[in-house]
Formats: sequence, structure tokens, C-alpha cells
Amino acid sequence: MTLQISNISKSYPTGRSTRVVQALKNVTLSIPNGMYGLLGPNGAGKSTLMRILATLQEPDTGSIRLGDPSTGPVIDVLKQKDEVRQTLGYLPQEFGVYPKARAEDLLDYFAILKGITGRQARKEVVEALLRQTNLWDVRRQKLGGFSGGMRQRFGVAVALLGNPKLMIVDEPTAGLDPAERVRFLNLLSELGENSVVILSTHIVEDVSELCTRMAIINKGEILLEAEPLKAIDGLQSRIWRRIVEKSALAQLEREHKIISTKLLSGRTVVHIYNEEDPGNGFEPVTPDLEDVYFSTMAGHIGNRKPQVAL
Amino acid sequence: MKFREIFRFEFAYQVRRPWPWLFVIVLLVLDFLMTRDGSVSEVLYSEFFLNSPFGIAKTTVFGSLIWLVLAAPIAGDAAARDVATGMYPLIYTTSISKAEYLGGRFLAALVLNALILLAVQAGILLGVYLPGVDAELIGPFRPAAFLTAYAYIALPTAFAATAIQFFMAARSGRAMGAYFGSFLIVFMSFFVASFLLFGKGLGTLLDPIGIRFVVEDIAHMWTPIEKNRRLIGLEGIVLTNRLLWIIIGLLGLIITYLSFRFAHRTGITSWRRIRQLFTPSKSATAKVQTPIPAAPGILAIKPVSVPQVQRSSNFITDTHQMFAIAWASFLSIVTSWAGLFLLAFIPLLTIPVVLDQMESKSNPLVPTTIRVISELTASLADELSRWVIIPFLIVFFAGELVWREREARMGEITDTMPGSAWAPFLGKFLGLALLLVVFLTLQIGAGMVAQVIMGYHNFEIGLYLKIMFGLQLTDYLLFALLGLVVHVVVNQKYIGHLVAIIAFVFIALASLFGVEHNMLIYGASPGWSYTEMRGFEPSIGPWLWFKSYWVAWALLLAVTARLLWVRGRETSFPVRLRLARQRLTRTTVWTAGLAVGLILTLGGFIFYNTNVLNEYHTASEMKERAAAYEQSYGQYSDTPQPQLAATKLNIEIYPERRAVDIIGTYHLVNHNKKAIDSIHVTTVPGVETVSIEFDRPAKQVLTDERYYHRTYALDKPLMPGDTVQLTFQVKVEPRGFRENGIDALVVANGTRFTNSWLPAIGYQKSRELIHASDRREYGFEPRPVIASLYDRKAREDKGTGGGTLEAVIGTASDQVAVAPGALRRTWTKAPQSGSGQVRRYFHYSTDGSAGGEWGFFSANYTVLKEQWKAPDSSGLPVTIQIFHNPQHAAHLDRMVRSIRNSLEYYTREFGPYPRGYLSVVEGAGNGTGMHAEGGMLTYAEGFALWHPKDTPESLDFPSAVVAHEMAHQWTVPYANVEGAPVMSESLAWYYAIKAVENARGHEERQRLLDFLRVSQIRPEIRRGEPLLRGLDPYMSYRKGPFALYTLSEYLGEKKVNGALRRLVENHRKQGAPLATTLDLYRELKAVTPDSLQYLLHDLFEVNTYWEFKIDGATAKQTVAGSWEVTLDLQARKLVADSAGVEKEIPTNDWVEIGIREQGKESGKPLYRQKHRIRSGKQTLTLKVPHKPDLIVIDPRQLLIEEKTDDNRKEIKL
Repeated sequence: MTLQISNISKSYPTGRSTRVVQALKNVTLSIPNGMYGLLGPNGAGKSTLMRILATLQEPDTGSIRLGDPSTGPVIDVLKQKDEVRQTLGYLPQEFGVYPKARAEDLLDYFAILKGITGRQARKEVVEALLRQTNLWDVRRQKLGGFSGGMRQRFGVAVALLGNPKLMIVDEPTAGLDPAERVRFLNLLSELGENSVVILSTHIVEDVSELCTRMAIINKGEILLEAEPLKAIDGLQSRIWRRIVEKSALAQLEREHKIISTKLLSGRTVVHIYNEEDPGNGFEPVTPDLEDVYFSTMAGHIGNRKPQVAL
Repeated sequence: MKFREIFRFEFAYQVRRPWPWLFVIVLLVLDFLMTRDGSVSEVLYSEFFLNSPFGIAKTTVFGSLIWLVLAAPIAGDAAARDVATGMYPLIYTTSISKAEYLGGRFLAALVLNALILLAVQAGILLGVYLPGVDAELIGPFRPAAFLTAYAYIALPTAFAATAIQFFMAARSGRAMGAYFGSFLIVFMSFFVASFLLFGKGLGTLLDPIGIRFVVEDIAHMWTPIEKNRRLIGLEGIVLTNRLLWIIIGLLGLIITYLSFRFAHRTGITSWRRIRQLFTPSKSATAKVQTPIPAAPGILAIKPVSVPQVQRSSNFITDTHQMFAIAWASFLSIVTSWAGLFLLAFIPLLTIPVVLDQMESKSNPLVPTTIRVISELTASLADELSRWVIIPFLIVFFAGELVWREREARMGEITDTMPGSAWAPFLGKFLGLALLLVVFLTLQIGAGMVAQVIMGYHNFEIGLYLKIMFGLQLTDYLLFALLGLVVHVVVNQKYIGHLVAIIAFVFIALASLFGVEHNMLIYGASPGWSYTEMRGFEPSIGPWLWFKSYWVAWALLLAVTARLLWVRGRETSFPVRLRLARQRLTRTTVWTAGLAVGLILTLGGFIFYNTNVLNEYHTASEMKERAAAYEQSYGQYSDTPQPQLAATKLNIEIYPERRAVDIIGTYHLVNHNKKAIDSIHVTTVPGVETVSIEFDRPAKQVLTDERYYHRTYALDKPLMPGDTVQLTFQVKVEPRGFRENGIDALVVANGTRFTNSWLPAIGYQKSRELIHASDRREYGFEPRPVIASLYDRKAREDKGTGGGTLEAVIGTASDQVAVAPGALRRTWTKAPQSGSGQVRRYFHYSTDGSAGGEWGFFSANYTVLKEQWKAPDSSGLPVTIQIFHNPQHAAHLDRMVRSIRNSLEYYTREFGPYPRGYLSVVEGAGNGTGMHAEGGMLTYAEGFALWHPKDTPESLDFPSAVVAHEMAHQWTVPYANVEGAPVMSESLAWYYAIKAVENARGHEERQRLLDFLRVSQIRPEIRRGEPLLRGLDPYMSYRKGPFALYTLSEYLGEKKVNGALRRLVENHRKQGAPLATTLDLYRELKAVTPDSLQYLLHDLFEVNTYWEFKIDGATAKQTVAGSWEVTLDLQARKLVADSAGVEKEIPTNDWVEIGIREQGKESGKPLYRQKHRIRSGKQTLTLKVPHKPDLIVIDPRQLLIEEKTDDNRKEIKL
């Protein structure tokens, strides 16, 4: 099973004038089975892409195909929407619930909507999913009283109904406490075995902990498509760090290409990208995925690199 | 400062939204149309200026009503936007006070609403002053008329409604709550105020929008002059009503303020909160608030072991999904407040409404199932029905269902579910349908409970099911589908409501938009009718054809909704159209094709029936035709024509074919002084006049089949006194059905028709245009509704109808046929050929004139035969035959008794009954009335269902009605001029009052008087014309009989009856002139002593009313033991001229004064004497033998007085 995204573009009118906002520019991705991370800052176009994949939005141009030509039929995601939905699990970035409905009843309702019509089968699936998402004990409670994490888990249960081959999970960890987040990622990691799971997030750890492949997106463009480990490897001995006082930051910025700064006990940790030792008190660090992300965003690696280099 | 800012921001925010502007446009357009149309509703009298204060007030009421159901989002948004959008945590935590926050928001909504309502007045102004209106229809411009309507009607309504809407929305945290507030108000004015409490004054008081006090009360109470000139004043009940609603609005605000909290909304309903008070703290509800924490960390990992399940995707799955959605939709409504309102509150309230309605004119009726059902059902298009609330609720629920997922922010999840888009759409439709089915089931239950309460047990469940689920549900479902489709297509909730409500307004008031044909108004059809005699025949056929046609349209609409169903984020119309193209599957195309095919075939068939087989004319075409008729043939209106002296008819009724064949002969006599050389014959649309022949040579010089006029030139003129015979044949057989269905005249059982199918002699004035504005439009002089009392020529005009009638009438062998006259012979005839059926024939003939309208009947009647002979053996014996539906027999004894009493009293007092027979016939129909013609009383089935309590204190109303109709047998031939209704109805009611007193005593008479006084819901008003020229129901049914009764109390019954007897004797004679009120007046004058001539004058010749007031009354015991009462009072007498201008007249009139003895609440008064009372203040001293208690001036209300509550006073001892 592969999801082949080719040349997808999408723009929105801005409302006031004829100007449009380009949400996606010529996005092309090839997504195999397993967990796939879509990493990008807020407003990068992640959700738009996710909704297009989830049949909720129409791109202006491009095509999306799901399936493996060698093993079975290929679905045109944009045209054969119902076929996609037959095998889709979708957890939107933001969603509500019917506050007066009980968890078990609503999940059962969704099971019918997903085509699980056998009464016994439905009962089993609903129970299994409620247990899996640790909602079994609160199954008779009204959803209106659920916390954010419980609600999120309920959403996962809905998405998991009917063994989807394509899972689309849009920023699921935003707003979850650390424990909930771990639980949640565990749940997701089990899914990647024989389906395509796309996880969009702006949190680097989500990707580094879970995904075997990833893409970095910004302003509607794919900047990097890679395997996280290989990308980290590619940065070996190119990331340097130095801890400075806040006041020295401006000076440093003029002299070096800073990719990220963060605070540590009141002082500033500066990471720069440099192919050779920059000296000046910088020490080499072992890169991590965050450095990949920031280097990409800064244009040192990935698709935007040539333009920046010029 | 903060308050101002909150107000400013709210106002500016909403003004920039599209809907306030849409509301303005809609109100402008609708009020423009209403003004142009002239009258919104049939209940209104016409003939006033387009910009009369009354017209403006009326349109303002309807405009406010439309505003009420449209503009709820203004208050709703102001009250609930913060909660609905989730903004509230930001706002609630600022340092504003409740008063600033709520006050600013409310005021902004109120100001906005007040501004929007200005569109109503603007619409009226445009309607009046834009070109295209006949200048004569426009009165002088009076800003005060617009200002008062706006200030007294629109503004208080706006305040109360905005407060209630605001309260509902703030309470529920949803803008839609405001719509619910609107529904409550509409419900108040249409359901509670109008029916449950009507007639008790409370109805008018409780009506929030003025439907009652403007559209009903004022419309009936004000004279045309008042309507044109008088401004709506803040006085009396109007003032109380407006104050009451302002207070209710204020209360709403106070409750909103007190119950509002700047606090997190937990979603716990107030019901929950109440329940929590009574449950221990470890309740399940408490657990909701403490979610079980998920176990942290890796340890919690469990392999995902979701069982592999079979997922299917086929038709059965779709069906399964559809039912799941239907059930979820149904539950979501049922558990909402509005659902509770529909399914609990309305059915519960229906029980008292049905109980209340199971009487007519405050007399109980047998609550038969069809009578109960008629209270439970209404055509969707009936905008003044109490059930108008249901279509509004349907629109509301449709919006809730279409937006359910998206408002719960679950849309993105449900939209990615597999399966056809049919499932959600049809599922929601089915959910709504299920809701309506449950609602109607509960309504049936409510109806049956009402029946049980009244001790009636013949439920006829089949009839309930057929009508409620077959007929009413179809209407609702068609509309529900439209509501859903509108919401799907529009895809904006407020605008969806707006469009759906406009669609409803269009359906209800289509003629306002110039659309009349039922094929052009969604869901419309000719109405259905059911009576016990006729069953559903013949209404159900056309009904079914039209509904099938609309079901086909509904199918097409459903396809549209399925194609445009919004799934996901793409809401722009071009993208939806593109997606729709993608969704055009083979099945969808086939379904659409089927729908279009059905629309074309059914539509074609209906059109063939309504417009090809039958003639169809729009209202304006009808006017045009009337104008053309008058244009072409009006010249003959005064041409002398012969008069009908005798008629012979051979009528063949074929009930099973619904056909009638009539062969008739007119004997025409020239009663004029001039010879007649040509005869004009008017034929009848809708029937086939096969032949018209004369018994002397005549040439047909003109045949106009378009306007149904024929002219025959006689070769030899018809000399004065000569006769000519005209033979004709008329065939009646329905050809398919008409746009308004099939006339229910000839049916399998319960045929009833009149001579209106027969050709008439001469030009027919009744076919002319009547309304002055219509006449002006076509360049005709306005014509009076009726000729002046002083028009000598009109008084002598006897018309061309009348004469004796002899009819042989044949019908199916199992039926009895009835015609005017005595039954001479009856026989059966075997078919001449083998295929025919045995037929039964009846031969009737009249003694003397058969009257103007001849009724013919055929049904499987049971006949009750009675004989009556005058007690003094004078005159002929009278054969009474009652032809009645075999199922209806309970009323017969009462009827016969009243007929006998009437014959006895009237014969004694007013002269012999002029015929040897009396036929009483029950005709098919649900009305409760009775009608009299010469020698024949006819009544509708409903009359048989009167069910008087028969206790000593209750009025036997049906007997009084029979006495009234019997009195018409003594009605003298009267001229068709002003005062004609007084001659017929007032006299007949006076007779009946006296006959009732004669049969059942003066207490029954008093009950009847009390009833008649209340049944005309008009206080004593200063009408324009005096009784002698009286025309309207108030004059003929109220003022007339009471004037005669007052005279009988002042002069004595003998004198008044004697005068009436002479009137009958003078005018019944062969060749006597037609009587008018002037003849009546002359006879009364002759018996009135000089001392009371003034009273006669006051009652008949001018509009007089009296005003009495007791200032004080004291009493002291005399030495002899009797009591001396001193009474201080004042009196005034006023006369109003035809324009309603009053003048005070000095008076010294005889007025009764009554005194009640202490401890004797009922029975004979202690004192009742007439005293001379003069104008102004005065003191009277009276002596009574026992201790007095209460003193009353004019205790029996013999004189006309507007305000009688200051006429009585406790006597101070």
C-alpha cells in the first residue's frame, strides 16, 4: 500500500480582494506503509493537505493515488472518494462530540456509519476499541464531561473503527498532557504495521519517536522528504553550539547562520549550521531531528537549499 | 463607557453581517406586496384607503409577525455568540459588570430590531406611493398613522420579543434558542390566545403581536369610516395588552440578568442541577466531572488488538446507516426542549383546545371523530390556523438536523465515513418523519382523550389513521423535505431559515405574489373533505393526483440535495457544482430521470384536467371576464324581461356517475307594461346547456359561449300579460377535475344542488364586479352593494325568478330524492334495456311560490313523517317530513318539538302557515347551520350533532335555531334594498325569541337573549347607518331583534305582534308590493303611543345610545318598616350620524330601574319600574317594602349602552 501524492496545489481566496493565499504548492510525496510524519510550523498547509487526503477538500490541481499497482487496484483519492472512505481513518485536528451522547452509543453509531452492520461484530469492535483507548470504564458517561485527552482518545477509537488502511491524524498531540501524549503515540505506533499512517505535527519529538519517514513542509511547500535517522546522519559534524549571554546574541547573529536558539537556565543556547568548525567558542554537538527541522527551515538542507545558496 | 463600547461593538458587528440587511429586504418586499394586495386575509372587510390607519396597522401586525419568525438571530447572536464561538472565557474574565455586558448586548439587538422593523413602514410607504396605484385609493398622507402603528404595535412587540429571544438564547447558549422564543410567541398568539381563551377577553390580552386586537377585533368593530380615519389609540384593551407585554419583556430581562453568571458553562442543564439537589453526592453525575486518568508511560502499552471485522458497502449497509442516522436524528430532537414542546406540550394543550372547540356558539356538540380531527388538522397553507406553528417548527428542526454534526464540530469525522450521501440526507428526513409520526400519534391520543372526557366512545380509529397519517402527514412530509433541501442547498443556517420561511410565506400567501394555480405552489392541492354522508368523495381523487405530482417534485428536490450535500470544507458554489457532477452516478441520474418523468406525466395529466377538460381562470382573468360581461351585456340590465310564473323539471340524478340530466320548462309571463321582443337567457359555466327552445317562433340572434349569454328575438313580440314557454335541457357531468378539485354537489351519497345550474332570464347583475376599486380599474361607475331604501324603482323590482315549481326527480333505487314542494307520488321504474338499473322517482309540487333558491337532494335518507294541525282546527293540516341520514337521529325529537311549537305560536300570532307541507332535509357537509326556503328547512350534518345539556339552566340553542328558521316561513316578500337583512333575519329572530319564551318560559328567553348579545362579538358601537337601512350581521342579528324586543317590553308584546301580523297580511297577498323596513316602521308607528314615539325613532331611524351612571345609592328604613332608597345618577343620550360624529340630545326618557332584595340573588326583583330620566345629574327617591341590596339602571339592557358596569351599585344602608 502506497499513497502517491503528485503536484497538489491549493489556494484560498483571501476574502477582500482577488488575491489568493497559496496553501499548497505543487506538493509531491510518496508515502509507504508505516508511520509517516508531516512536520511543519503552524499555518504551513499541513491541515489542508490532511483534509485533502481525507476527502474533505478539493485541490486545485494534482492527483493522489492510494494502493500498489502490483498487488491490487489503485484508488484515485480525488475521484473515488467513497472507495477511500471505505478504508480511511481520520482524526481531525479539532473536533467536538455530541455532549449528550454516551461514549459507547456514539462509537456504536459510528461503527454503523463505517459499515460494520453485524450486531455481534459491532459489539466486539466497540468493546475492543474502548478498552484499547482506556475508555471502557467511562463508556456509559456522557461525552460532554470528557477531558481533552479522553475526547482525543475517543476520536482515535472512531478513527480506528473498521481497520483502516489509511490513517490520517492531524496534530493529535497538541493539548495533551505528557502522559496522555505517550499513551497516544503508543497507540499510533501499533498501527503502522500494515497501513499508511500520516501524522501531521509541529512537535519534532512526535516524529522522532514514531516515524520511519517524514516530510517537512512550510508555506505550502515540501522542504524535505527523508527518513529521520538518515537525515540526522547527514548533519553529523555540521551542527555547532555555543552558550552565550542574551546580550551577545545580536553580535553572533551577524557573524553566523543561526538555525535555532533556546534558553537554558537564563542563558541562550545557540545552534548554527556550518560545514566546518566555525571556531569562536562553538563546540560540535550530536545533531538530532530538531536540528534537521531547523536546518531545513533555515534553508541549509532540503528543497529550498539551492535558492538560499545563491 | 464600557456599556457604550459593548453596545457599539455589538451593533457594528451585526450591522456588517448579511442577515440584518436580508431581513430588511424581505420585510420591505413582503410589506410592499401586502400593501399592494390590499388585503392579506379573507377575514378583513374591504373598501378602505390603501394608507388608512387601519390598513397600516394591519400590515404592521403581519410585518411584525414575519419579523418575529425571521429575525430571531439578531437577539440570539447578541446573547449567545460568545458561548457558541467559545470566546466567552476571554470576555467573562474582563472587568465588565453583568449589567454592562447584558445591557449593551440587549440594547444593541433591540435597536437593530427596531431599525429593521422600520422596513415594514417603509414597505407600506413604497406600496402606497410608488407608481401603479389608482390615485383614488390613496387617502391623505398622515405621518401619525405610520408613527402610531410603529410605536404602538411594532415597538412593544419588538421589545417583548427581543427580551424573550435574548433570554432563551442566553439560557441555552445557542443562537437558535432565540428562534424557539419566537415560536413560543407565535404559539401564544395563534394557539393560546386565539382559541383557548377567545371570547373571554383574555385572548386579546395575551396575544403578543396584535393578530387578535387588530386583525380580528378592530377589523370587525370599526366602521369603514373609522378604519379610514381613526388612529390606533393606546387605550382600553390595546393599552393593557401593550403594557402587559412590555412587563413580560422586562421580566424576561430581569430573569436573564439574575440567572446569568460569568462562569464556565459545564453543559449541565438546569434539570440536572435540580436533580443534583436531590441525589447524594456520590451520584453518577458527579463522576462525569472526574475523568479517570490514563495510566502514564510506556507501561500502559497494550498491543492494538482490534478484531478484524467484516465491513460491507452495499445497499443494505446504506439502508442500515440511514436508519441509524434516522434514529439518532429523531432522538436528538426528542431530547431537546423544542422536541419536548412538540411532543409533550402541544398534545397536552390540544386536549383542552379540542374540549373547548367541541361546541359551537357555546353549545356543546357531539364530539364525533371527524369533528375532533378537523380541530387537529389544517392545510399547511392556512397561515391563520393554530397549526401554523408546525411548519415553523419543521423548518427549525430541519435546520438543526442538517447542521447537527457541524455544530457539534463532528462534521469532519462524519464526513469521512464511507457510504452514499443518500444515507445522511434520507436518514435525517426519516428522523424528521418519525418525529412527525409520533407527534400525530400523540395528537390522535389527545383527540381520543378529549372524546373520552366528553363521554364519547365511537373512536373510528380507521378515520383517524386515514386522515392524520394519510392526509395531514403527507402535507407535513412534503414541507419537511423542502425544509431540509433548503438548508442543504443554502448551507448557511440563518439564511437557510430565512429562505425556508419565505418559502412557507410563499406557499401560504402565493396569491400575494400573483401565483394561483395549485401546480405552481409547492405541495398545494385542492383540499380534501370528509363528511359522514359523503365520505372522502369526491375530493380525494384530485388531492391524490396533485400530491403525487408534488411527491415527484420532492424526489427531484431530494436528488438536488444529494448532489449538493456539503461534505467537507468545500462550500463555494462552483466547487459544489463540480462535486455534484462527480456524484452523478447512474442511480442518481435514473432517479432524477424518474422524477422528471413523473413530474411531466403527472403534471401533464393534471394540466389536461384542470386547463383543457375544464376552464381555468386566474383571479384577474375572472375580473376581466366579469368586466367584459358587463361591458357587452350591461346595456340589457333594464330591458324588460318576462318573469317566471311556473317551472316544470324532470331531473335524473345518477349518483354513481356523479351526473345529472335536467329537462325543464319555464312558463314566462310578461308582467311589464311594454311588449317584449327579445329574451335574454344567461347560461351557466361548468354545465352543458344542451338546448333552449321557445313554444313560439324565435330566432337565436346571439350566442356567446364565452360569457354565457344568449339572445332570442321573438318573431311576434310578447304582449303584456302574455305567456311564453321555454324548454331547456341541462347536462351536468364532471369532466376530470378542476384546479380547485371537484364540486361536491353530485356524489354517490349526499347529492345536493340548487337551481343555479338552470338558465336564468335576463342580464345577471350578480355577475358584475362589485368592489369599487375593481370597477374603477375597468372604467365602471362604482355600484352600491345594494340599492338605497329610498330607491323607488329598486323597491318595485321583483326580478325574473320565483313562481311555482313542479319537479319529477329520479335517482338510484336505494336513494330518496327531495325537491321543494309536497310529495305527490313516488314509483320505481325497471330499466328499459337489460343493462340499466332500477330507478326511483319522486314527484313534488309547491303550493304557491317556491322561493328564490330551490334545493334538490338525493341520498339514502330515512324519512320521518309527522302531521301537525292547528289546535283550533283552522287551516290545513301540515305534513312534516324530515329526510335525515340514518346515522343521525338523536336530534329528531327536539327538532319536531320545536317545529310544532313554532307552528303553533306563529300561526296564533302572525297568521296561518301558508303551505300544506314542510320538508326538513339533512345535506352533506360538516357545518352546523340551518337554512330556510319556502316550505323547506335544510341543515348540514353538523346540525344533527348539537348536544345541549338539557339542564334547567342551559340554553336549548338548536331548538331556538329551528324556531328562527321556522319564523322565516312567515318572512314577508321583501324588496332587495337596504334594510333587507333586517326584514328577514331581525324579524325571524324576534319571532324566535318570542316562540322560545312561549314554549319554555321567560328564563329560557333571557338565556337566548344573553347568548345573542354575546355571540356577536361587538360591543355596542356607533355604526354609520341606522337600523332602517341596516345591512351587516350586527344590524340584522343583534340590533334588529333587540330593538323589536325592547319595543315589546315598552309597548307590550300584543301590540308589537299585532303590527307584525298586519305586515304579513298586507304583503302576503297576491300582487302586493314588496315590503321594506319602511313598511315595518309604519306598522310599528301605528301601534306606538305618542309618549313612546321617541323610542321608536331612537331605535330605528337614528343611531342612538344612552349613557347611565349611578353616583350613589343609599337607603333608610321608614317608620312604617318599608325602605326609602335615594338614588343619585346621571344620564346622557347621544345620536351619531352616518360618519360617526356624535351629538348630545336632551332626554327625558322612560328607563327601568330595578332593585334586588337582600339575600335574594335570583328570582323576581324587589322592584322594577320605569322612571323618567332626564339628561344630567339627578336624584330619585323610591320606596320598597323590604331591605334592598343592589340597584341597577336598565337592568335588562333594553336600551343601547356601551358601558353597563357603572349602571349598578350596592345600596348603602
